[in-house]
Amino acid sequence: MLELAIGIILGCCALGAGCAMIAGIGPGIGEGNAVAKACEAIGRQPECKGSVTTTMLMGCAVAETTGLYALVIAILLIFVAPNQLVGVLMNVVGK
Amino acid sequence: MKIDQTVKRETLRIAAGTLILSTLMVAVFLVLRQFSIKVLLGALWGSFFAVLNFFLLGISVQKAAEKMNGVHLPPQEEDEETGEVKEAPLSPEAQEAKKQMHLSYSLRMLMLFAACVAGVCVPVFHPVAALLPLLFPRLVMMILRPRG
Repeated sequence: MLELAIGIILGCCALGAGCAMIAGIGPGIGEGNAVAKACEAIGRQPECKGSVTTTMLMGCAVAETTGLYALVIAILLIFVAPNQLVGVLMNVVGK
Repeated sequence: MKIDQTVKRETLRIAAGTLILSTLMVAVFLVLRQFSIKVLLGALWGSFFAVLNFFLLGISVQKAAEKMNGVHLPPQEEDEETGEVKEAPLSPEAQEAKKQMHLSYSLRMLMLFAACVAGVCVPVFHPVAALLPLLFPRLVMMILRPRG
C-alpha cells in the first residue's frame, strides 16, 4: 500500500511537471511572431531600427519569463516535491 | 559579429539589477539564519545563467534585426473604405527571423533546464538560491523600465 502511495505521488509530480511545461510553448511562438513583425517594421522604416530592436528585446525578455516560471515549477516538481511529499507520507505513516 | 550597443547596454543594466537582487536574496537568507556557502554559490550560479540567457536573447534579436539590412519593404496598404491596415503575408526575411527565434528559444530553454537541474541536484548549490535568480531579470525590467 505504501509503495502504491509513493508511486501515485511520483506519478502526479511527473504529470504536474509535464502540464507546467505546456506554458513553455506559448512564449516560443509569441517571441517568433513578435520578432517577425518587428523585422517587417524595420524593413519598412530602417531609421527606427535602434528603438525597434530595444523594444523587441524587452518584449521578448518579458514574454520569456512565463516559460521560465513554468520551467522552475517543473524542476521543483520533479526534483524537490517528491522528496518532500514522500517525507510527509512517511511521517504520517510513522516510518 | 559585432555586438550591438543596445544589447551591451541592456545586458549590463540587467546584470547590475540581477546582482543587486541576488545580494538582497542572500541578505534575506542571512536574516533567516539559513546562510551558508551553498547559498552564495547557488545565487552566483543562478545569476550567471539569468544574465547569460538575456545576453543570448539579445544576440538572437540582433541577428534577426540584421537580416533586414538592405531590405526595403513597401508601406502597408490601407483599405480605402474602412481605413484599416491590410494584413500582408510575412516577407521571407521575417519568416527566417521567426524560425531563428524559435530555434534560439528552444536552445536557451535547454541550457536553462540543464542549469536548473545542476542547481538542484549538485549538492554544492542551495536549490532555492540557484533557481530564484532566474526570475530576477523580469523584476529588474519592471523596476527600471520607465512608465508611461
